[in-house]
Amino acid sequence: MMELLQTLENFGQNLLGPAWLPLWTIVKIMVIVLPIMGSVAYLTLAERKILGFMQVRPGPNRVGYWGLLQPLADGIKLLMKEIIIPSSANKFLFVAAPVLALAPALAAWAVVPFGDGMELANVNAGLLYILAMTSLGVYGIIIAGWASNSKYAFLGALRSAAQIVSYELAMGFALVCVLLAAQSMNLGDIVRGQQNGYGLLGWYFIPLFPMFVVYFIAGVAETNRAPFDLAEDEATIVAGFHTEYSGMGFALFFLAEYANMILIAALTSVMFLGGWLSPLDIAPFNKIPGLFWMLGKMSVMLFLFLWFRATFPRYRYDQLMRLGWKVFIPLTLVWLVVIATWMQTPYWLW
Amino acid sequence: MDFVTSNFETIVFYAFAAMIVFASLRVITARNPVHAVLYLVLAFISSAGVWLLLEAEFLAIALVLVYVGAVMVLFLFVVMMLDINLVRLREGFWRWFPFGVVLAAIMVFEMVWVLGNRRTAETGAHLAKHAANYSNTKELGRLLYTDYAYPFEIAAVILLVAMVAAIALTLRRRKDAKSQDVSAQVAVKKADRLRIVTMQAERKDDQPN
Amino acid sequence: MNKLINFFKSFLLLELLKGMSVTGKYFFAPHVTVQYPDEKTPQSFRFRGLHAQRRYANGEERCIGCKLCEAVCPALAIKIEVAEREDGTRRTTQYDIDLTKCIFCGFCEESCPVDAIVETRVFEYHGEKRGDLYYTKPMLLEIGDKYEEQIAKDRAADAKYR
Repeated sequence: MMELLQTLENFGQNLLGPAWLPLWTIVKIMVIVLPIMGSVAYLTLAERKILGFMQVRPGPNRVGYWGLLQPLADGIKLLMKEIIIPSSANKFLFVAAPVLALAPALAAWAVVPFGDGMELANVNAGLLYILAMTSLGVYGIIIAGWASNSKYAFLGALRSAAQIVSYELAMGFALVCVLLAAQSMNLGDIVRGQQNGYGLLGWYFIPLFPMFVVYFIAGVAETNRAPFDLAEDEATIVAGFHTEYSGMGFALFFLAEYANMILIAALTSVMFLGGWLSPLDIAPFNKIPGLFWMLGKMSVMLFLFLWFRATFPRYRYDQLMRLGWKVFIPLTLVWLVVIATWMQTPYWLW
Repeated sequence: MDFVTSNFETIVFYAFAAMIVFASLRVITARNPVHAVLYLVLAFISSAGVWLLLEAEFLAIALVLVYVGAVMVLFLFVVMMLDINLVRLREGFWRWFPFGVVLAAIMVFEMVWVLGNRRTAETGAHLAKHAANYSNTKELGRLLYTDYAYPFEIAAVILLVAMVAAIALTLRRRKDAKSQDVSAQVAVKKADRLRIVTMQAERKDDQPN
Repeated sequence: MNKLINFFKSFLLLELLKGMSVTGKYFFAPHVTVQYPDEKTPQSFRFRGLHAQRRYANGEERCIGCKLCEAVCPALAIKIEVAEREDGTRRTTQYDIDLTKCIFCGFCEESCPVDAIVETRVFEYHGEKRGDLYYTKPMLLEIGDKYEEQIAKDRAADAKYR
């Protein structure tokens, strides 16, 4: 496999010279982005199916066998719909906002390792890059809320902005604990740091268990998913920041939300669940390609996202802020000190 | 084609630089304050790009993370909610104009003085390329905690004092305000609120008619 | 002490896990959905659906134009005009039910002294314009002719409770 890729690269290098590198990079980007778009489409189906099953009903089952063509039907519907731009909206920003929401969600995938060496860019400060990209996603939401010139959209945008900024701190501190344990900001090195021959026991979710929980919950809040979906709280503010969007504009927000969910699932797998490593470091398991384990772990985390949505009622806004500032941030700070001290003792086994 | 590949970094630098200059100009000329803030965001991102060219990836990403991701969001937050009257904002423009010109002249002079001086600015020196495994972040951390430990700690303490002061200034407990204590609400258990009483069932003929 | 225990209990997320175990259990429970056009739920013989006008076995329409149903109708959905027929009997010349007004309370059926106006089990009817749901006398009679067998059976089943 690797030799084949190498010969392909050499061939292209000879054929096209300097123009080959951008072309090859675009091909690699496509190889990452297209499956993400596909997974987003089928994640919507999975969400509706799982929510349905947990509510003792079958979910969508009319379009195609077992509803498998439902995402396609939804996509076509959204493409065909008229795009309505409110007359008092700021036209340029109104159209740009969905793009601004989606772009960072996809850009962050550049440094995510799907397997050993299977990443688009091997960046030393990969973790920082991820944090920076996820923090940019909020612009799409704020601008959408402001440019719509609608009170519901604006309230949704304000809620979302305050929420994302608050939970980013907790998320950042949780990641600092991972940095401490791995002593690297390169996502590939973080995964390799969890490889110590004992499989599952070497992963960081054991010493960093509280951080694992905090990171994942903050991730749910960061992606504006239930029970933290106050930005699109239909009971009070219609649909929040995308109230005024229709057709493809709405679809792009939808894509961004789900791409962010998948990203959080991937990051949780990489930071805490050993990325592409197999849970048991013995013969039949560690022969399976790492990509399989990585995707499996992501699926489990995504299932948790949907499970949360099926189970928990929505937070009240002041409770949400309290959880972020008064519970998560102190907790992460305390655990940061605990980890730092623990690492100085001989009892640090990771 | 050869020109592009050999001068690729220079071209990228000028593209970013042009973007910074344009965005910064629009920050002060844009009529709509929200647009001005968004142009400022563009300027920050472009400068992060320039820093990346200098292999200062930690600073570049920290700029995006801290300024674009957090500070500017709060800025935007405030600016969006302000009801700004542009006419009143422009009232004193000509009165303060000379003062502004003098300040700008001083700043230009200082910049020229610092950057034009061969000893303070090594503009001619080309930066050495580093190996692929060179970590800018690690270097920065090492410098901050060894050579510059005291200045760094002092800066941190000053920030802490400022933070404590800001909290102390705004901290007040109003007696007349009604508010909910969320932690008390969350801590409530079934036993605190609910009392289950067992009593005998009433018979039909017991009831007064 | 109790506070301290609660403090640590809340950090263990016990209540959240309990909630998740409930939804998790139902994830594997059999679905209760009725796949409507393919499967249908059983109906009661008292089901109140589309209205119908009945006839006697000899083909004579039952309605005598007493206007009790028009009087009792809470939604004012019924409109009746009455005239004497050539054979001297009292008959309706117009008997309209506006189904967009009707609330399907069944009072017309209850009030009718001759069991002329009834509500059938039919609920899968539709109109493409507003006017399509304005049912006139011939339409109601036609429905009655079509479902007479079912209507008679339902009346018989309900008779002992009246």
